[in-house]
Amino acid sequence: MITSTDPPSSDLSSIKQFSEKKAYIFEIQRLSTEDGPGIRTTVFFKKCPLKCKWCHNPESIEFQKAIQWFENKCIGCEQCIEQCSTHSLSFSETGLVINRKTCSACGDCAEICPTTALKVSGEWITLNNLINEVLKDKTYYSTSNGGVTCSGGEPTQQIEFLSKFLQECKKNGIHTALDTCGYATVDTYSKILPYVDLILYDIKEIDPQRHKEYTGVSNQKILQNLEWLAEKIRAGASFKLWIRTPIIPQFTARDENIKGIARFIHDKLGDTVERWDLLAFNNMAQAKYERLNIDWPLRTQPLMTKDEMNHFLQIAYNVGVKQVQWDGPTKI
Amino acid sequence: MSNTTDENIKTDLSVSQFKVAEPHHLSKKAAWLRKYYFKGYDREWNNEYAPFTTGIPNDRIWSEGDYYIVPEVYGFIGINGKGLYCLSLDLMAEKVDLPSGFWELSLPERRMTFFREVMLNYVPQEIISSNDLLAGGRFNIQLSKCFTEAQLKAHEKQNIKNRHRILHFHQEGFGNVGATGGHLIPDYKTVIERGFRYLYEKAKKSYDNLTEKEKKGPKGAELRAMITACQIPRDLAAKYADECLRLKDLTDSAERREELQKMADNLRKVPWEPAQTFWEALQSLWLTHMLVMAEESYPGPGTSFGRLDQYLWPFYKRDVIEKRNISRDFAKDLFSSFIFHANTAYDAQIRIGKQGISAGFGQLMTLSGMGPNGEDLTNELTYMILEVFDEWAPILEPKPNIRLHRNSPEKLLDVIVDMITRAQGAPFILNFDERSMAGMILEGVPPEDAWDYACVGCLENTMCGNDRSGTVNCNPNLAKSIELTLWNGKNQPGFKRIIGNDMFKQAKPGTQFGPKTGNPETFTSWEEFFNAWKKQMAFIIKHTVETYNVFEATRAKYYPTPYLSTIVDGCIENATDIRVGPPKYGFVTIEGVAFATTVDSLLAIKYWVYDQKKYKISEIKDALLHDFQGKREYQIMQALMKNKTPKYGNNDPESDALAKEVMQFWAEECWKYQTPTGYQFRPGMLSWNYWAGEDAAFTPATPDGRNAGTFLSNAICPSNGADKNGPTSVTNSVGIALGGKTSEDTYVNVLPNGASHTITFNPSLLRDKEHRDKFKAYIRGYVENGGTALQINILDSLMLKDAQKHPENYGNLLVRVTGYNAYFTSIGKELQDEIIARESHNW
Repeated sequence: MITSTDPPSSDLSSIKQFSEKKAYIFEIQRLSTEDGPGIRTTVFFKKCPLKCKWCHNPESIEFQKAIQWFENKCIGCEQCIEQCSTHSLSFSETGLVINRKTCSACGDCAEICPTTALKVSGEWITLNNLINEVLKDKTYYSTSNGGVTCSGGEPTQQIEFLSKFLQECKKNGIHTALDTCGYATVDTYSKILPYVDLILYDIKEIDPQRHKEYTGVSNQKILQNLEWLAEKIRAGASFKLWIRTPIIPQFTARDENIKGIARFIHDKLGDTVERWDLLAFNNMAQAKYERLNIDWPLRTQPLMTKDEMNHFLQIAYNVGVKQVQWDGPTKI
Repeated sequence: MSNTTDENIKTDLSVSQFKVAEPHHLSKKAAWLRKYYFKGYDREWNNEYAPFTTGIPNDRIWSEGDYYIVPEVYGFIGINGKGLYCLSLDLMAEKVDLPSGFWELSLPERRMTFFREVMLNYVPQEIISSNDLLAGGRFNIQLSKCFTEAQLKAHEKQNIKNRHRILHFHQEGFGNVGATGGHLIPDYKTVIERGFRYLYEKAKKSYDNLTEKEKKGPKGAELRAMITACQIPRDLAAKYADECLRLKDLTDSAERREELQKMADNLRKVPWEPAQTFWEALQSLWLTHMLVMAEESYPGPGTSFGRLDQYLWPFYKRDVIEKRNISRDFAKDLFSSFIFHANTAYDAQIRIGKQGISAGFGQLMTLSGMGPNGEDLTNELTYMILEVFDEWAPILEPKPNIRLHRNSPEKLLDVIVDMITRAQGAPFILNFDERSMAGMILEGVPPEDAWDYACVGCLENTMCGNDRSGTVNCNPNLAKSIELTLWNGKNQPGFKRIIGNDMFKQAKPGTQFGPKTGNPETFTSWEEFFNAWKKQMAFIIKHTVETYNVFEATRAKYYPTPYLSTIVDGCIENATDIRVGPPKYGFVTIEGVAFATTVDSLLAIKYWVYDQKKYKISEIKDALLHDFQGKREYQIMQALMKNKTPKYGNNDPESDALAKEVMQFWAEECWKYQTPTGYQFRPGMLSWNYWAGEDAAFTPATPDGRNAGTFLSNAICPSNGADKNGPTSVTNSVGIALGGKTSEDTYVNVLPNGASHTITFNPSLLRDKEHRDKFKAYIRGYVENGGTALQINILDSLMLKDAQKHPENYGNLLVRVTGYNAYFTSIGKELQDEIIARESHNW
């Protein structure tokens, strides 16, 4: 993703750590309709403390750049191979092979690729440029009660920048949403709460053991943070809270999980939760995993059915959570 | 847990089932009429072309100049003699007994006398079915031009000259031009409200005011023809009334007898007298309208109804809401008859293909929109019309253009989004008032009048009842300017057209057409290149105008239309035929084709040659000569041009600034010229299907990475696949290219005609209320930031591919092409592929 307002990438390429001046992002999605109310621009921040087995944005997890090769765009000019200083690229019968062990993810190959068949996820963008980019759709935010969503990865990993960016959005009268996995400190959240209008908060798995198994971390801190946020709302904070639960076959798509989350919401959060979305698994990340040479456990997983999603909805409803709904692709 | 978009991934979203829109909730009468219509050539009645001759040897019937803007038919017009179309009409033509003294009359009077004879005494007056509530059946006639032998001789000589001129213009890659009919909104409002009697008296008065010398000249001739013309609708209506009464005597059904009596009563009154009921108003409108198409001998070429829901509203309000003389359902049946008749325009070509429908004619009805103070004018008739149209859908005519603005009601947007959700090609075009009105004001319409504009043809903005803006007459290929600039005013040496119509020889490659602006290989700056481009662009507009003006002069001299002239305000006052001089507002629109291809080519040259300094002009020319093929370097260059070069449509300030500059420059050139008939040229962007058809075939490879012979860009849309940031970004770019807004938040629009903008969305975006609300908000955002007209396709590319494989399952599938809806299975493979190739924006 290259935006016109960005200075040449070389200006920023030397940066190796997060700061308040630049964000490390991997995508900006305009006319985003799935990440909060109205029409939004979603900024995807790179790096995440969780490693969910089903993650839909695997290129977002690590700080290191992720390189993907798009076969249908490649014209086979082989300039990338010539360019690669670590000799990590070669052509085989199946196409371009990236030796991930030797590849330093410097991005030179993507730079020279004339077709964008090689895509590097991860680039630095200045606060000013990012603000200019999100301001382009301000008209549509107004007509739709939309705004900007910071997603990822996990945006709070870049808290210094995030805080500045959210402040800047508010100064420009833009509604802000934070899409978070919940795995950050209370101090971190405190820094940005005054500038956040909506938090999209994931509860993926209620069982701490399974949560650790699926995501690499326990959910203890995540749930504690959530209770803390609910307390803030009860004390009069103005931000809204939406819970999101990915319904992943083999993992989170279990009756007792939905029931457990529902009970947690019902007992601990109550009316502080404006909305709870059950998001049906989708298989769109499969091609990404292939391109990143990662074996995805959900590779051949069929989609959920409408009946299954309605069943989970009913479970949540039976526990007493009425503000629940589901969305996402299902089998025809 | 969000997903970044990924265009390469197939999903089986539950909403992507291949369901094609179907008619629903039709009344008994409407269902019968719709079914009957689609029986096509199996009907016992149809409205196919019927030619009529005065009987002089080699009479001229077919007016090929009407079709010069349709390059697909060039193969049928002949080269040095009469071609297939003309000859077949000649063979079929019925001789009309001419009244005595016919040949002593002036040409316009002969035309009206002949027209009158044909309509009253040769074309049968038929009521099509007991389910039909409006009279006015056959109108697809082809009238003799009524030339004397001397005129015929002179005309045929001029005609061949004109023909060769257009063939050259076209095959040299400049596009096409021609003086065609229709594309205006006659003053139907006045006919309905005051009747032809009023116009008759006005014409008589105008005639009486002429000097004796003027009476003997063209003004007198024209007004006498107009006086005859005004009486034709009255006399034809009387004949239809007789037919209604004849049928009444043969009918047992009390209900139908009553209907026929009422129809006869209506026809005794309108269109001669003012209409007083909704039924009379619709009858008056239909008969008046069909006679326009009959006189011009060209069915529905953008002959449009204007703001139908406004001028019919007082009648509807009185009959249906206040006095309840008729039920809402009956009013819907009346409108169904109107829909049926409007669609029989397509019977002209009923023998070709299923239902005789290959594309769209464009009898538009403009609905909703603002009033003089920015207030919204949507009324219950607006909703009734949309409801009937939706029940009939998919159906082609009359095509609704819905005017939206800042104060458009939520209810209207709900109806619109609901209709879009269930359709494939949205069954209407959305027209945007604030941006459109800025264009009307630019062309000289007083700001206090601009609110009352409406659309003709596809989406072209004009005023109502007093304006002809010749909106498809000139269609230059703007991308030709790139070729001429690169080759110092010559067409590209060695270019061989790959596809396209092979009837005519291609212009010799390397011929000097444009001015010598220098070999760009010697240019040292972008400014130098851009200045050379400007000269070539200016040349293209001048060349277009000069070529067109020959056809305009021929039309003015030989093909008057006095009947149409009586119902366009200003013609009676001026005692001038509408084809001889302008009514109150008179324009010829230059519809620029391939805007984005032009802008992107300039951007590519600026970026790679002058900013990045990676390529020399000579290297680019070399690659273009080879169509980017044969060498790795060419391939790499093409890939860079396509993928890593700034492009119009991405809401990128620098690219959009150049787009705006290009737009302003070519638009400004158009204003420099007038026709010999006193019409002013104005700019617009329609580009019909030329970008995917013949213009594309004649255009060599372009520096934006496009291969020779492949699609050019469509109207004001970005090039296919060039826009990477989604619909809001494209919308913003389109608005900026048209002029954006001033610092005082005033809309600017340098294209008074308007510009066609098509966006294709995936059906999943309208899957539930929440998303439909977002879609509504997008449309409201379009009002603020976008262009003048938006057409929406809700299509799944998988479905279209399935439709290509199994056309038998998709007879009902309507898609928007540019400004018109067409049945997907009936359009050419190239156009089908183009529609599939359009980026389907996935939110």
